[in-house]
Amino acid sequence: MRRSVIPKTWGRMTMASCPVPEHDFGEHVGEERLIVRGATLGQVFVEAARGLRELYGELDQPTDDPSWRTIEVDAEDRAALLIEWLNELIYLAESEHWIPISFMIDAALPTRLRVHARGVRVASAPSQIKAATWHGLRFDCHDGMFEAEVILDV
Amino acid sequence: MSDAMLATAIPRSPWLHELPVSSAPGMRVPARIFADDVLWERMQQDRSIEQLLNVATLPGVEEAVYAMPDAHEGYGFPVGGVAAMRMDDGVVSPGGVGYDINCGVRLLISELSQNDLKGRLEPLVHDLSRSIPSGAYANPHLRLSTAELDRVLQEGSRYLVERGMATPDDLEHTEAAGSLGEADPLAVSSKARERGHDQLGTIGSGNHFVEVEVVEEIYDLAAAEAFGLALGRVGLLIHTGSRGLGHQVCTDHVRLMGGVMARYGIVLPDRQLACAPLRSPEGQHYLGAMSAAANFAWANRQTVTAVARQVFARVLGPTAGLRLVYDVAHNIAKLEEYGGQRLCVHRKGATRAFGPSHRDTPRAYRGIGQPVFIPGSMGTASYVLAGTDAALSASFGSACHGAGRALSRHMAKRAVTGGEVREQLEAKGIVVRCHSNAELAEEGPHAYKDVDRVVSVVHQAGLARKVARLRPVGVLKG
Repeated sequence: MRRSVIPKTWGRMTMASCPVPEHDFGEHVGEERLIVRGATLGQVFVEAARGLRELYGELDQPTDDPSWRTIEVDAEDRAALLIEWLNELIYLAESEHWIPISFMIDAALPTRLRVHARGVRVASAPSQIKAATWHGLRFDCHDGMFEAEVILDV
Repeated sequence: MSDAMLATAIPRSPWLHELPVSSAPGMRVPARIFADDVLWERMQQDRSIEQLLNVATLPGVEEAVYAMPDAHEGYGFPVGGVAAMRMDDGVVSPGGVGYDINCGVRLLISELSQNDLKGRLEPLVHDLSRSIPSGAYANPHLRLSTAELDRVLQEGSRYLVERGMATPDDLEHTEAAGSLGEADPLAVSSKARERGHDQLGTIGSGNHFVEVEVVEEIYDLAAAEAFGLALGRVGLLIHTGSRGLGHQVCTDHVRLMGGVMARYGIVLPDRQLACAPLRSPEGQHYLGAMSAAANFAWANRQTVTAVARQVFARVLGPTAGLRLVYDVAHNIAKLEEYGGQRLCVHRKGATRAFGPSHRDTPRAYRGIGQPVFIPGSMGTASYVLAGTDAALSASFGSACHGAGRALSRHMAKRAVTGGEVREQLEAKGIVVRCHSNAELAEEGPHAYKDVDRVVSVVHQAGLARKVARLRPVGVLKG
């Protein structure tokens, strides 16, 4: 599993309960299977964004200075919320060439996520990821750790 | 897939296995899988058969669901899956079309032979790579205004005739004449428009490509002549779809339908199969948006064609010519008639393969059958087939769409590097252009099934018959 260096910008998260947010990629014959773990819902969403960023691979040079934006998504449960979150990031990457690099969680509830994200705009959209799919989607909680799995259409 | 489920499989022929409705809870129709023993064994190693059984639970599904010999695990539907729904009590499922709406393939054939490429293949592929944006790049030369995008969504390739980028002959040789009448541009969200407005004329990434081909072998002389194929003749194969616009249309409607299924009493084993009754407002909304995205895809392949014709003329001379043999979708839901009954046929990674007597087969190919294109991978053969009348009853007029993936992208990258793939292709005399070595490794020939075997099953099962084999000599990879 890939361990993240936790950035200072995660100011509002409870770091004591968040030793090892991590993500990895499982096998899928046609698409990408992203697996993320975290001690809080917020960590899972941030780690999922990091996994997505890793799939984008090498990016073009930024065209301007990093900028902050607020991203807010709603859904009926935390698994659906993960799909909405990833699909919003995919949309921003393709339509605005905007890639988030750090995150500050404002609210991470089972049905609502509000994130202040700092990101850069790059010259061209990153390699295409079409969408986060619902197939095989899971978002479990065991022994105080959340683990989610989502298949991305690439 | 459990052993108990597999134990219910009945071999119907050396190329057809059937799983009856008793194979899994909730199945309404049997599942039929076209595969020889080797491909059947391989399909059991992923979740493709299990996914096909899930499709068989959809409301209003007619007769049977099918997996083509290139089938592999997808999300919701297997890739290589076909299902037809009754209009009265059936549903439409965006997952049964996929995110890349109207991803498809077209073949163009030139007036040139392989000898004419001597010393000019490298400049040709180079110019194609400079002129046709690939990867995630937008098209810097063609940004559509809102009004222009609306016309593309409404009219598809037909609009490009007016723009001088298509000919009436191109439309005659495109499935549905490159324009679905059910299109409703108003059903396409602003997000989808933002993702697509600068992507017309681009091939995208993943397994999309533009390939220079040479006709290497002919199996059916009469059909080959009708298609304009002759030994040694140079052609161009284009594989792309509706780009970000189509992806967003699917995302929007999986969400929409996921929210209304309970209202229609629909319970599914997989949320990615989210669907709504065909006659419901949500079903109609999706059909309107999907048709608009399909029109965008046809216009996209037509725009790439217009640019490729310019490149061929520039590098090979004004008499090079690039006549469109045919353009056919492999991710789409179409309203079609079977025995007087109107059905919504979902093809997810499957190609329409109408036969010689079908009224939707282009006039020039009546008596022959609709051309069907089965791309291999960058280093292996691609095939041209002709649809059969028998396919109508055997598979709702469908055949496979490619070789089908055998390895995950991670396994493919572990097996070989992009540099090694490039060297292997160049050793075969194939000129390659790809912006990313990683993508080259992911999409190398080693990542796919044996296309010869897949095509052989399609031919033996009577879904389409072999006409010609093409050999790639130049590859522009998405």
